Amino acid sequence: MKKLIEFRNIVKQFDDNIVLKGINLDINENEFVTLLGPSGCGKTTLLRILGGFLEQDQGEIIFDGAEISKVPAYKRPINTVFQRYALFPHLNVFENVAFGLKIKKTPKDIIKAKVDRMIELVGLDGFQKRDVTLLSGGQQQRVAIARALVNEPDVLLLDEPLAALDLKLRKEMQHELKRIQQEVGITFIFVTHDQEEALTMSDKIVVMKDGIIEQIGSPQEIYNEPKNEYVANFIGESNIVDGVMKKDYLVSFDDRDFECVDFGFKENEAVDVVIRPEDIKLLDRNKPSKLKGEVKSVLFKGVHYEIIVETQKGTSKTVTMHVLEDRDVYNQECGELMHASDFTMDIEDVSAITEQELIARANAQAWDKESENDISISGVEFKISDQPGRYPVTFKTHNGTLITVNVNVVAPKYVEDKTSNVGITAFDFYKTVDEIKESMAISVDLKTWADAYAWSLDDDEEIKISNVDFDFDPINIETGDYKITFSTEGREYKVHTTQYFEEGAKVSVDFGPEDIHVMHKTIKS
Amino acid sequence: MKRLKGLPSKLWLILLLAFMYLPIIYVVIFSFNDSRSLTHFTGFSLEWYEKMLDNSTMMESIYYTVVIAIIATVVSTIVGTITAIGLSKSRRAMKETITQINNLPMLNPEIVTAIGLMLFFTALNMRLGFMTLLLAHIIFCIPYVILSIMPKLRQLDDNLFEAALDLGCTPFKALYKVIIPQIKPGIISGALIAFTMSFDDFVISYFVTGPGINNISTMVYTSVKRINPSVNALSTIIVLAITIILVIVNIVPMIKERKKKKNEELA
Amino acid sequence: MKSFRRLVYPYLLWAIVFIVLPMLMIVFYAFTTEGNSVMTINFTLDNFFRFFSDSIFINVLIRSLKLAIITTIICIFIGYPSAYFMAKLKPNSQGLMVLLITLPMWINMLVRTYAWRGLLLESGLSPEIKVYIGMIYNFLPFMILQIYTSLSKLDQSLITAAHDLGCDNKMAFLKVTLPLSIPGIISGITLVFLPAVSSFFIPKLLGGGSYVLVGNLVENYFVTTGDWNFGSAISLIMTIVILISMYFTRKFDYSKEDR
Repeated sequence: MKKLIEFRNIVKQFDDNIVLKGINLDINENEFVTLLGPSGCGKTTLLRILGGFLEQDQGEIIFDGAEISKVPAYKRPINTVFQRYALFPHLNVFENVAFGLKIKKTPKDIIKAKVDRMIELVGLDGFQKRDVTLLSGGQQQRVAIARALVNEPDVLLLDEPLAALDLKLRKEMQHELKRIQQEVGITFIFVTHDQEEALTMSDKIVVMKDGIIEQIGSPQEIYNEPKNEYVANFIGESNIVDGVMKKDYLVSFDDRDFECVDFGFKENEAVDVVIRPEDIKLLDRNKPSKLKGEVKSVLFKGVHYEIIVETQKGTSKTVTMHVLEDRDVYNQECGELMHASDFTMDIEDVSAITEQELIARANAQAWDKESENDISISGVEFKISDQPGRYPVTFKTHNGTLITVNVNVVAPKYVEDKTSNVGITAFDFYKTVDEIKESMAISVDLKTWADAYAWSLDDDEEIKISNVDFDFDPINIETGDYKITFSTEGREYKVHTTQYFEEGAKVSVDFGPEDIHVMHKTIKS
Repeated sequence: MKRLKGLPSKLWLILLLAFMYLPIIYVVIFSFNDSRSLTHFTGFSLEWYEKMLDNSTMMESIYYTVVIAIIATVVSTIVGTITAIGLSKSRRAMKETITQINNLPMLNPEIVTAIGLMLFFTALNMRLGFMTLLLAHIIFCIPYVILSIMPKLRQLDDNLFEAALDLGCTPFKALYKVIIPQIKPGIISGALIAFTMSFDDFVISYFVTGPGINNISTMVYTSVKRINPSVNALSTIIVLAITIILVIVNIVPMIKERKKKKNEELA
Repeated sequence: MKSFRRLVYPYLLWAIVFIVLPMLMIVFYAFTTEGNSVMTINFTLDNFFRFFSDSIFINVLIRSLKLAIITTIICIFIGYPSAYFMAKLKPNSQGLMVLLITLPMWINMLVRTYAWRGLLLESGLSPEIKVYIGMIYNFLPFMILQIYTSLSKLDQSLITAAHDLGCDNKMAFLKVTLPLSIPGIISGITLVFLPAVSSFFIPKLLGGGSYVLVGNLVENYFVTTGDWNFGSAISLIMTIVILISMYFTRKFDYSKEDR
């Protein structure tokens, strides 16, 4: 294959923003090349530089052996299919397609022949006289392709041309584009942020991020051997796990050693390990396997099920909830009912406590007995010092109804998990039967009442508490003590399988050495 | 190279602005002339401003212009808003009918609307004067208000109104709490258009007003037979007032925007 | 929701009484002569015969049309480049230019025309030229703003596409920008031609009575002579002439309704 285009160290800057940071890329004749990356990665800028609509700040573009940076757009043997097609609204289908040839003063009969042939190629025969603004998205797309191709360019640039189409049409156009490219036999450079599009159509995929090329390769190479975490994440779905390369062909993650097919890493190098969801097999618990786990969720995806398996629990903390009888205060004078509960609080939070927080933690409420309309709480009286102990708090309404509860100030008891570097804390608390029955989102309320909080021991950032486990039925609860466990997310694997497993089922997780793909860690800048 | 390229176009625009502002600058300068001449500036004085204040016809015309513009704006904005809301829910035929009728005064020469109203008022035996002047202004302002509100109503998400009803609003509460705030920009621009149309109107006012009742336009028209530099003084004041208003209208949002940005940066 | 439909009815009544009826009154007056009592209405075409049999009236009509057409053409030739250059400025400067162009329009037309009267008093120009200056001055902003709006709405990717398909700057302008800004020119024409053809205070203030247009005729017959029937007939003729001109202008518009 002959080299057609060479980008040499292309740099482009908009104001303070460096969009392309030295791009080097070769493109061959008759290749279908896809520039793939999220918006803002510089892929469209690179395309526009090649089209001649932008000029690079540094670097060269060699086209067919000649530097073309100074050649204006209208003299380059390159045509573009624009993102929103940019069809001329004052011209019909035929006139749009004929535009470029007319500019070149091609004889009329030749224009007619070429345009008609091109319209047929894109499957729009009979639409010649149509108004382009009245065509569907897919048809406009075809006109835009025909309008570009009729000029017989050496290269066709396509700037996210399928983005505006719906899913079914998009799939159809993917095949259509591939067919057209094979038929006309020229280079297509296609820009997209859709990895599936890239995998379907391309001969060569260029994965870009922040103005840098991350990886260049065939779809198979990119999918099976992503160079780093970024590419693995961007192309297809993957499970990415931190691991350590013990030696060649042996990698360790999740506290175990696994055989693999990768080599050439330093001994004990920290690596990212990728396992594709479709490469993992789930088996019943009694079968021998690599890891054991529990099914957390099952989604039906048409051809397969997407199952999330938890192989390691997250960090957790269990507290006791004391459920008491209701003890509403009734103010006969104005017919107001009022309610609040005792609660426990962290000694460290005392200094920053607000009235709003006290109202929420005590679940203080007032309402009219007749109408059951809520009444706002107008005053909170409290005197809490940062010494462990019991302190009274009084809530008041405008009409003078008041209720006093006790706050237990205690020193916090953390649970710290050194292996996952997560800390978690929560407190015992008191509630009444009615409060629990009335809760509309019990997990969220339990977190508030227990003041459950988890954080990373590395950087003190908050970590989401994803599980609240309890074994009571909130609708039929009675007085007594109940255990509640709060936990963070553990190690989870996404699995694609055609076999169904029930949520909560205990399963074995299995994969072979060839299913493990080890990558160098990306150095975070 | 690039700089030279833009030069002819900049020069053209500067000449254009010079043409647009020449008469305005002229009026301002000659309002301070100390002689009656309209061609020779003989010296600075405030004579014509004093004369203007003493001239009761002039002061009355300012009064009528402002009063009529305010009343016409308020009435036409209210009527126009109500009608536009009704229209947005009406059948096509009704929309078409109203649009066509509204187009009559907007697409016909003003003078035709003017004599039509004059014939109509006299046929009803109404004495031409303040009332007919005010009525005429309301009549020609409403179509413009409707025209500026309709697009905003068309952009409105149909579900908004239903969401308001769903959340417990009565239809009129929904109108007041949800629809009106959404179309407020249209209402404001409609009111602004109505006010300027009324404030600036000459042709229609000229035909439907009666003896003794003048707005600024008709006053200028009838008084130019004699040279009267007080008109320059009045014009200067109008120019000044409009410049101040436009500057405020255009700069205040800019300052607000900047403050907002600053606050966001701080946050 | 449908109950809101009822909100339209009061205005419908209002519009019929205050907009439609006055228009019908003009037609009624145009086809009758003075002295008709309510009891005996005699329809007649006399007013129209009178107009078309007198070369003075015909000349005034032709002069008005000529003036309006030339004013419109000059406005296009000054307005198009102005709007085009404006659309090429930086966004901030564009806003400022729009403001600067609009600002004089907020000042009373009479006042601005009055200013020109003083400015041109000793210029030695013919009344006709003075009227042209006044007309162009008053109506040019409408033309500029209409064309500017259509140019600034123009999708820039269309220009890029034209370059991609082999157009240099000049060709891109002729083949894409110009055809797509025609709707702006057409609405500019409407906004200039219509008031120009019927204007009566500009010729009166700047032409000094010696330059009579069809609008002045209408004014004369209503205000001075008091012959409302003939005045109505003249304004009806004027309206019809305008409608015909507008019809022909719209034919140039490529827009979809006409296709």
